[in-house]
Amino acid sequence: MKIGIIGTGFMGTTHAGAWVKTGANIAGFLADPPSEAEPIAKRYGAKPYSTLAELIQATDVVDICSPTHLHAQMATTAAKAGRHVVCEKPLALTVAQGETILEACREANVKLFVAHVVRYFPEYALAASQVRAGKIGKVATAEYRRLSYRPKKPVGNWFLDEEKSGGILLDLMIHDFDIARWIAGEVVSVYAKKVSSFNKDSPSDYGQVILIHASGALSHISGAWAYPPPVFRTGFEIAGDGGLIRHDSEAESPIEVSLRQGKGEAPDVGLPASPLAESPYDLEIADFYRCLQKGTDPLVCAEDGLAALKIACAAMESARTGKAITLLQQKGGGR
Amino acid sequence: MKLAFMSAAHVHADAYVSCLKSIPDVEILGIADHDAERGKAFASRYGLPFFENYDALLAQKPDGVLITSENSYHKALSLKAAEAGVHILCEKPLATNVKDATAIVRAAREAKILLMTAFPMRFSVPVRGVRDELLQGKLGNPLCFNASNQGQLPPKDRAWFTDPVLAGGGAIIDHVVHLADVMRWYLGMEVVEVYAATNRIFHAHEVKIETGAMVSLQFESGVFATINCSWSRPSTWPSWGGLSFDLITDRGAVHVDAFKQNLTVFGAPSAHQGSAPATEDHDWSSAHGDGGSGPRWLYWGSDSNQMMIEEFITAIHERRTPLVTGEDGLHAVQIVEAAYRSIQAGRPIRI
Repeated sequence: MKIGIIGTGFMGTTHAGAWVKTGANIAGFLADPPSEAEPIAKRYGAKPYSTLAELIQATDVVDICSPTHLHAQMATTAAKAGRHVVCEKPLALTVAQGETILEACREANVKLFVAHVVRYFPEYALAASQVRAGKIGKVATAEYRRLSYRPKKPVGNWFLDEEKSGGILLDLMIHDFDIARWIAGEVVSVYAKKVSSFNKDSPSDYGQVILIHASGALSHISGAWAYPPPVFRTGFEIAGDGGLIRHDSEAESPIEVSLRQGKGEAPDVGLPASPLAESPYDLEIADFYRCLQKGTDPLVCAEDGLAALKIACAAMESARTGKAITLLQQKGGGR
Repeated sequence: MKLAFMSAAHVHADAYVSCLKSIPDVEILGIADHDAERGKAFASRYGLPFFENYDALLAQKPDGVLITSENSYHKALSLKAAEAGVHILCEKPLATNVKDATAIVRAAREAKILLMTAFPMRFSVPVRGVRDELLQGKLGNPLCFNASNQGQLPPKDRAWFTDPVLAGGGAIIDHVVHLADVMRWYLGMEVVEVYAATNRIFHAHEVKIETGAMVSLQFESGVFATINCSWSRPSTWPSWGGLSFDLITDRGAVHVDAFKQNLTVFGAPSAHQGSAPATEDHDWSSAHGDGGSGPRWLYWGSDSNQMMIEEFITAIHERRTPLVTGEDGLHAVQIVEAAYRSIQAGRPIRI
């Protein structure tokens, strides 16, 4: 199985490190500009390609780790060429684009995987399994937090361009929209606020979203690009009529370093600090690889990626208009 | 200084007695309660005179009264006290609706008496300290709050808390007023829009009002806030609940947990019995019989209630406006009423 990876930033590099641990063969990379793919291609014994068409020709699976606004065109092109698609979250910038991608993959009879990696983080997976096992009864309220600093990039920081990334509600908070739906089921109403809606020049952004689930449960999602580097903190509290589950990455971090600082630099994108024998990214790519080989379903399916996108787009609309947005009930998969 | 209690319905009446007893020159004249049995039990618990009705109590000419009745009685009792020219410390929420709260504020103004709403969080040392730093410009410009005021369901012997008529609602009216007031106080501006969503999944078979709730506030400047105000804490929670918030500014964020100064006590089921400090907003812990088996949080921080009661007394002495007013109570009730209207309408409500 030959893999072609598009994008050689943090996520492309991370996926490459995960694919190489599977039985798959990384055949090529594509970057913009093309020369940026050369060092990583060399490291993995793969070829740097300069066009999407060439990359597609050389591979069986296209793994899209490019900026979000490019996902739809790349994914549909790959699908139409009969290639399986792995797409970094968010699936696309708009619901229409997302639906187009799913349709193209269905028509071409190729697999589509949306890389909602948080489902592979053991603290989230364990919480979900506890909820599934009825340990806290029926979920009533849940809170999810993802607190970090504004993403940095050496050049061309597309994260900060809402036309390219969708901003904090889509790029960051979609992780927890997916988890909230995984835990409490389909979402019927979305109400959102974000700092950049009332303060366009704010150096930081913060979003707060209230979801009403079809079950009656309420979820509150908060996402921050407002903390100083190197803060990357996640947490949740899921309360049911029979108990409560709580997680705080900082409180549960097994290592606490208190060293006098040299000229410390924070990484470009904040990352969780709890070390694990198996990285969630490795687990995710291994799951996708297994599904490709055996034709089974992944932990997070394409419909889940689309459903999370619908919630995020409703949140963006709510933040823009000040209204609560009603979502039609959607059928979703996942397990 | 002569003070008296009007009703012992609210669990805080017990806390306030011990606050008052520690202040020199304060005499507690006694208590009247429309529930005579409850009033008599309270009187005998603290060795106080019991009066058969409120007029008899007010005839003792107290300087001030502490109104700790069910929320729906606040208006009638406040009007009675105002008519008698007696200063009022009224338990929160000031009333169950804006109409009643407005009537209370007007009556106090016309009678020229001092009216204070019992918002103890204004006296919480950590909450106050962070506000001081914010006003000094040390924390940057506020952008939003992410807040939580959640607790256990009030116990069965305080069942009126979950009676929609007596309490005026459920988890929203019980909890939202505290943080709404703190945020108004921090920002020095009013809430202009409220959105709320609720459910009744916690304790669905025990009560008829909302037990799960999330409320979103928007202030004049665009600053916004969410308050999770649910009765979500299971009986095994290490305390009654808590109040905390993140204040996010253009410089970063500050987390404030008003009830974090606790010892964690494991494996001593009797350790918390009877030793709970008066500072806890609602000490339900001993009321939930099954809550004693896990670890307990024992609060050792400063007592906000004590400082609030002292402010009431000092303001009477100095004939000045107290740090928290009736108008503050009224604004909080406006926010609560808008939240309930938002649930009905399914959309945000302008104030």
